[in-house]
Parts: sequence; C-alpha cells; structure tokens
Amino acid sequence: MAERPEDLNLPNAVITRIIKEALPDGVNISKEARSAISRAASVFVLYATSCANNFAMKGKRKTLNATDVLSAMEEMEFQRFVTPLKEALEAYRREQKGKKEASEQKKKDKDKDKKTDSEDQDKSRDEDNDEDEERLEEEEQNEEEEVDN
Amino acid sequence: MAAAAAAAAASGSGTPREEDGPAGEAAASQPPAPTTAPGARLSRLPLARVKALVKADPDVTLAGQEAIFILARAAELFVETIAKDAYCCAQQGKRKTLQRRDLDNAIEAVDEFAFLEGTLD
Repeated sequence: MAERPEDLNLPNAVITRIIKEALPDGVNISKEARSAISRAASVFVLYATSCANNFAMKGKRKTLNATDVLSAMEEMEFQRFVTPLKEALEAYRREQKGKKEASEQKKKDKDKDKKTDSEDQDKSRDEDNDEDEERLEEEEQNEEEEVDN
Repeated sequence: MAAAAAAAAASGSGTPREEDGPAGEAAASQPPAPTTAPGARLSRLPLARVKALVKADPDVTLAGQEAIFILARAAELFVETIAKDAYCCAQQGKRKTLQRRDLDNAIEAVDEFAFLEGTLD
C-alpha cells in the first residue's frame, strides 16, 4: 500500500464541516481556500508530531503520549488549545474506560452463558437474557468497529 | 421539491458541490468518517488518517492512542482557528466567500501560523 502525499490529507468533507461550523451562517469558502486549509491541517499535525516527538525523546521514551502533544502545543504557541484539549482528553479517557468495562462485562456474561447452557433448559428467563445479551453484543461490536477506525 | 431543498440544506452549501477528482486529490474517493455513534463525537477527524500522518515522520517510533486522539482534536481546533482568522480578512474586503488570499494574509499576519509559510504551494 504505497502512501502518496495526497493520501496524507484529511477528509475534505470533515474539513469543510468544521470550517462551516466555525464561521457565521451564509459565509462560503472557495475550493482553493478549503484545500489550502486541509493541507495546512496536515502540516500542523506533522509539525506537532515532530515537536511532541522531541519531548518524548527528552523523556527517553519511544512512545508519544498525550503529555508530549500538550507540551508541543505550548511550544508551538498554541497555548489556547491546551485547556480544551485537556478537557477532550478527560472525556476520551472516560469513554475508553466505559468501553473497557463494557467489554469486560460482556466477557463475564459470556462465561456465565456457558454455565447456564449446561443447566436446566426449562427456564424461559434465561432465554430472555440471551436475547438481551445478543443485542448488547451487537451494539458493542459496532462500538469496537469504530475504535478500530 | 421540498425534499430536494432539505437535502441541499443538509449538505450545508448553497453552491453546487465540486468534485475533487480532476484536482488529483485521492481524498475524494475516501468515504467521510461516520459520526452517528455518540462516541465518535469527541473527534470528527478519523484517527486512522491522523495516525498515518504521525507515522509519516521517520523519527517517530510509536504513538499512543491518546496522543493520536489529541492530535486529531488539535487539528480540528486549528482548522476552526485559521478559518476564523482568514474570515476576518474576507470581512474587511466585504466579501462573504473565503478566498485563498484570505488564508495567505492570515498566515502572514498571525505569528502562530508562521510554520505554514511556504508549505501550502
């Protein structure tokens, strides 16, 4: 899978949406301007990555973490981003924790399933539970797909 | 008729959508990132694309999931910021359409955008 420079652009539809939501109603953007902003965003990510990597190397770490990126923002004079980014990070961590707990619960339920299958089959309540668990499984699979995105 | 108007409004632009094919951008063939699930609201930009950009740096060994997420969010904030700054220039020219030159002016005027000089051509 060869990576051409064009592949490193962010999706135009998303960029356009972000721009439109940032600007007042009725304001339009030319194709050239939108494309330039998209490229600018890619350059921004590359530059931020490079700065963040410097911080990681200073800390003798090989993996970039969230703190490195926040430090990079300050270095790049984008301090105003730091607070909203910290809030977003908190929300992200809560969400990740929620997903982890949900998948652990699902695992426990699966183990529980194996035990109930070997028990009495006349209990209709178990059948209802199975249906609920199947639905839950489907929802979680959808969530997992998005994480893998 | 009403449905078509609603569809046009939903697409968010009164002007006809222009295809990016002739411009040679491969991004046009990519499907837009799904935003229906509540979890996806935290970041609209697809993390996979951001990760690809991060990996493009030869000095970077690994990047944590949180780092990728914050970079995506920061990129969104950056797009909002530069769009607003460029709009100020357009407003001065009493125009309602952001042009490429508005962006160039913003880059020259704002110190924080200095890193963009020469990169967009």
